[in-house]
Amino acid sequence: MDENKVIICRCEDVTLAEIRNLIKQGFTTVEEIKRLVRSGMGPCQGKTCGLLIAREIAEITNTSIEKIEIQNMRPPYGGVTFEEVIAGDTIEE
Amino acid sequence: MRIEQHPILEFEKGEKIKFYLDGKEMIGFKGDTIASALYASGIYKLSESKKLRRPRGIFCAVGHCSSCLMIVDGIPNVRTCTTPLKEGMKIETQNQEVVLNE
Amino acid sequence: MNNIEKAELIVVGGGPAGLSAALAAADYGVNVILVEEREFLGGQLVKQTHRFFGSEKEYAGTRGIDISKFLVEKIKENENIKILTSSRVLGIYNDKIVTILANNKMIKYSPKALILATGASEKFLAFENNDLPGVFGAGAVQTLMNLYGVLPSKKILMVGSGNIGLIVSYQLLQAGVKVACIIEAAPRIGGYSVHASKLARMGVPILTSHTIKKAVGKDKVEGAIICQLDSSWREIKDTEQFIKCDAICLSVGLSPLTDLLKQANVKTSYVPELGGYIPLRDENMETSIKNLFVAGDVSGIEEATSAIIEGQIAGLNVAKRIKKDIDNQVKIEKKIAEAKDELELLRAGPVGEKVRNGLKKIGLDPLKNYGEKVSTEEFDISFLMKTGIPSKENLKKKLPLSEDVFNKGPIAISECFQQFPCDPCVKSCPFDAISENGSINNIPYVNFEKCTGCGICVSKCPGLAMFVVQKNYTDSTSLVTLPYEFLPKPVKNQIVLVLNREGTEICEGTVKRVRDGKIQDKTTVVTIEIPKEYFLEARNIKVDGGQKHG
Repeated sequence: MDENKVIICRCEDVTLAEIRNLIKQGFTTVEEIKRLVRSGMGPCQGKTCGLLIAREIAEITNTSIEKIEIQNMRPPYGGVTFEEVIAGDTIEE
Repeated sequence: MRIEQHPILEFEKGEKIKFYLDGKEMIGFKGDTIASALYASGIYKLSESKKLRRPRGIFCAVGHCSSCLMIVDGIPNVRTCTTPLKEGMKIETQNQEVVLNE
Repeated sequence: MNNIEKAELIVVGGGPAGLSAALAAADYGVNVILVEEREFLGGQLVKQTHRFFGSEKEYAGTRGIDISKFLVEKIKENENIKILTSSRVLGIYNDKIVTILANNKMIKYSPKALILATGASEKFLAFENNDLPGVFGAGAVQTLMNLYGVLPSKKILMVGSGNIGLIVSYQLLQAGVKVACIIEAAPRIGGYSVHASKLARMGVPILTSHTIKKAVGKDKVEGAIICQLDSSWREIKDTEQFIKCDAICLSVGLSPLTDLLKQANVKTSYVPELGGYIPLRDENMETSIKNLFVAGDVSGIEEATSAIIEGQIAGLNVAKRIKKDIDNQVKIEKKIAEAKDELELLRAGPVGEKVRNGLKKIGLDPLKNYGEKVSTEEFDISFLMKTGIPSKENLKKKLPLSEDVFNKGPIAISECFQQFPCDPCVKSCPFDAISENGSINNIPYVNFEKCTGCGICVSKCPGLAMFVVQKNYTDSTSLVTLPYEFLPKPVKNQIVLVLNREGTEICEGTVKRVRDGKIQDKTTVVTIEIPKEYFLEARNIKVDGGQKHG
């Protein structure tokens, strides 16, 4: 299998080769990997890659997947423009 | 291609909607999303991924992933799989990371 | 901060769980704001063209699309429910302020209670070129063909044989797509056997212990390389196989969509039986945060029927807290108990074991009242669950013991061998001739004394597993009545090809009767005359002139 052609994070174009390489370097949390290669920071917010990365970490570090935390989630869920934020703050007199 | 006959469902084709893909005139129907109209017209590649330039097409079709992002009427990163198609829309393939205007 | 609107209940998600949660609470006068991301309500139900399993009480035997219409209509009629479609909940904050993006405006609410019914997202699979256009999630394929009427492919490879993989494969055939084969990494088919049997008799191969290695193609899928796996899920050498197809459909499971829950810092736990990271919650569907409830797939992957009931439980619990008068309290309490009962019953059979194990892991007792009703598989269905084809022994157990029975005329034969919660055959029989011995988790049996061979059950069975045979129609021929959900529909006196349970052509038959009325509701009931020797084999037909596409 050519790990360079296996896409783990579709949004940020991160391959299986990159993920495995990072884990082998000692980055063994989903959150660390996210901060390094942006996996989970794209438009889908980790919906496709999160579990796959957790599973890779579990396998390579020989840890049970139950013990692996997925990335943090913060508002907003999905994009919102400043215009939209301000529009809601306008109080109608 | 469209499903013309179906044993369970009835598809009422809505009125025709004209739109443009990279300048080329295309036809969809009322009720379509941008992505469904493109797919029905044989357009499978909607974008190229931003680093590796890999072709991407519809993947989840429910607005969860990022594979169908396109530029719609000048606005980048529009989820075409959940955005209803409208008359005269100008759709562009998104081929690289969108850079903000200076 | 005077621009924060007060609210009683906000329900997030307009799928089966969210709809039923909103209704359950609104029925007791709770003011509900129902928020849905898409421009329509119904969630995944709007793509489900198949009849649902489960109990008649929760719409079993009805197609998902029709359940959706029914629920949405009730929602729209309810004055206590404010519907916000094309609206997205952006954030849930620690002080339970909720921000919603609706009509290009971010509005803030402070609700007394929240029910999150955000559903699930599809799992992805790591293989070479897994991002190539033409590699789809099963939901995408369903959306394209059943919502927009767009043909997703001409020939497709299905990866995964859970209920979704099997159902979508069947729907693809109905849309006129060829299914090259269904591959399953596990040594056993994941979904219900009746779904697999529907595909087997259409001639679709189901390959267990197989996985996908690579998608092939330049700008679009042109094929796939699959291989065989050994018992420890490792690739067996030299088993690579090229499958020609123009699309690959991934149906490898769902995981709960917990983004909003994680924002709110709800405690979660990894429970593989329930799809991955799920919120911890009690039996009333309340999470670790007071007045924040969950329902449906976001609380653990199950199916639409349990999602509907979980929605009811969550909605009723909110009503109980908000509407405090004694009269209501008693009524609501009773309804909650009934719903919990119903849910336990759904999970009490062998197919509910996975979910039960998952629930135990988060400290719930999934069988408080039904402990004694847990049943284990009655038949040895190992062959059936590998191939979709029932074994000779399986079939024999559902046939009459004595040949005499065939002399009385037509009789119904039930080809349902797996125990899962379902009862439309029992409920639809006008002669009370089908029984599941008291539990919807049991296998149905036909009482041949009572059965008249009327054929009502043939179109009612969601698994299309009811047939009627009249062995001694003439000296040399028999009649077989079967369900048929494809186009073109056969017509009387037409000669059709007759297939067996493996989808192999065995003989020709003459169509004697076609029932396609309101009762059949698009599951056409076809009676064919065939040579007598095939009366226990003939289970499908092929009608000339396939579906056309433009």
